[in-house]
Amino acid sequence: MAEVTLYHWEPNANSGKPMLALMEKGVPFDSHYIDMLNFDQHRPEYLAINPQGTIPAMTHGDKVLVESTAIMEYVNECFEGPDLMPADARDRWRVRWWMKFMDQWLAPSFSMIGWSVFIGPVVRQRDPAELEAAIERIPMPERRVSWRKAIYGTFSEAEIAESQRRVAMGIAMLEKELGKREWLGSDSYSLADINGFNLAYAIPLSQPELSNDELTPNLLRWLRAIYARKAVKDCWALGRTDMVKRVTILEQERI
Amino acid sequence: MATILYHGEPNGPSLAVLAAMAETGADVALDIECHAMDLLGGKRHTLPGVTEPLARDMGVEGEGPVLVIEGEAMTESVFLAQFFDEVGDGTSLQPEDAYAHWEMMMWCRQITERLSPAASLLGNLATSHQRLEALSEDAFAAQVEPIVSADLKVRWDLVRDGEADDAQLKDCEAKVMQAVERCEKQLADGREWLMGALTIADFETFAWLVGMEPIVPEAFKGKSETQAWMKRVKARPSVQAALARATSEAPERSWAPGPEINRWG
Repeated sequence: MAEVTLYHWEPNANSGKPMLALMEKGVPFDSHYIDMLNFDQHRPEYLAINPQGTIPAMTHGDKVLVESTAIMEYVNECFEGPDLMPADARDRWRVRWWMKFMDQWLAPSFSMIGWSVFIGPVVRQRDPAELEAAIERIPMPERRVSWRKAIYGTFSEAEIAESQRRVAMGIAMLEKELGKREWLGSDSYSLADINGFNLAYAIPLSQPELSNDELTPNLLRWLRAIYARKAVKDCWALGRTDMVKRVTILEQERI
Repeated sequence: MATILYHGEPNGPSLAVLAAMAETGADVALDIECHAMDLLGGKRHTLPGVTEPLARDMGVEGEGPVLVIEGEAMTESVFLAQFFDEVGDGTSLQPEDAYAHWEMMMWCRQITERLSPAASLLGNLATSHQRLEALSEDAFAAQVEPIVSADLKVRWDLVRDGEADDAQLKDCEAKVMQAVERCEKQLADGREWLMGALTIADFETFAWLVGMEPIVPEAFKGKSETQAWMKRVKARPSVQAALARATSEAPERSWAPGPEINRWG
């Protein structure tokens, strides 16, 4: 049995970050799939591991770790394998800056749009009583509010418009930044790239009017370079839904 | 080209960064010049010599300190403290053990994601609103004009308007109380510093909490371990040196628009 167990959903957004970091480091781990859309993360067996009911979570021996970016940093520091943080201190600062920017400013906007357009309508087809029961099982009151909004699609027009503004701006910022350096924030492949790929791999599919080879050549170059890595192929093979298929758009020569 | 730390009054993120700089010896290692700026006067957005403004313009932290190296603006107090720690004189403010490091970073995230937005809103409404309200509409518009981030501009508007709903204010106070309770619990085993050894978490937490003492005094009532710890942090020569840079009598009452409150509820 591996010393490391990762509790994750699809290789996408937060779950995909520690999955890919472990694979890039060559750390073997037990993969424990949590079906987020079936609310497995709020069931007692998972809450016994992570009482906050958030995904992903990782156990390493008797230690339990949560929060995807913080788990990635732990994985990089704790295990042998290629260093996924740059050698230069200022580059490391830049990598951290980008990860915080993506985690707190950009990703919630992508997530809000994703829930309002794709995931919410699918989840709402379930039995309403079952959905209510699932929401009531969520341990953190703040998360209950977030999930309620996501499930019932109660985002206001202004909220969605603000998320769309941020997505457009974030794409433009990534394009500009990736015109400066080969990788995000530094000249070496790092946790910022792993973080960013999980956020941005489906952008050319979901935002074709904002991101394509003509408008965002640097972003596309970067996404394709990451997609070409073996660890990414291994990681995306762990997906169980059609969501993972979106990544294959990066196989197209011209988008 | 000089390396310059532009900082506000020693409170919140400016206090955390100034203390970390002195604690790690980064001021000597990088030959840093410190320049005070009037954050509430909008001066952060018109700094000279910034050729790479992205982190200044789009940083999540809002109106915090800016370190300018070779024209690049560097922001976010926890990451600046890490940077100082990694280029400094070897005095480490970050645990070497990976798990202890994860714990420290998680602690700092709790502070920057939960306490800082709440403290910032309460602090600004209590202390900054009056000054911004006194500006004419034209003067205010001219001051916020150079701000690139539309959502940061919204936070400036909110402070000038001085209107926040009761539920939001109560939630902010609750977050301050929760932060103090976390400190009290963490310090209950008699440890000297939050993580055991002195780390970035002590400066980041102290810097955001110290300004809450006059605004949410009930949060600190009966919290003897936290109060004693705050005295210890305040007594550090690095914190004293930071506080000595104050240009006002009560720097803990100096605020400028900070991080936004989580949009998802």
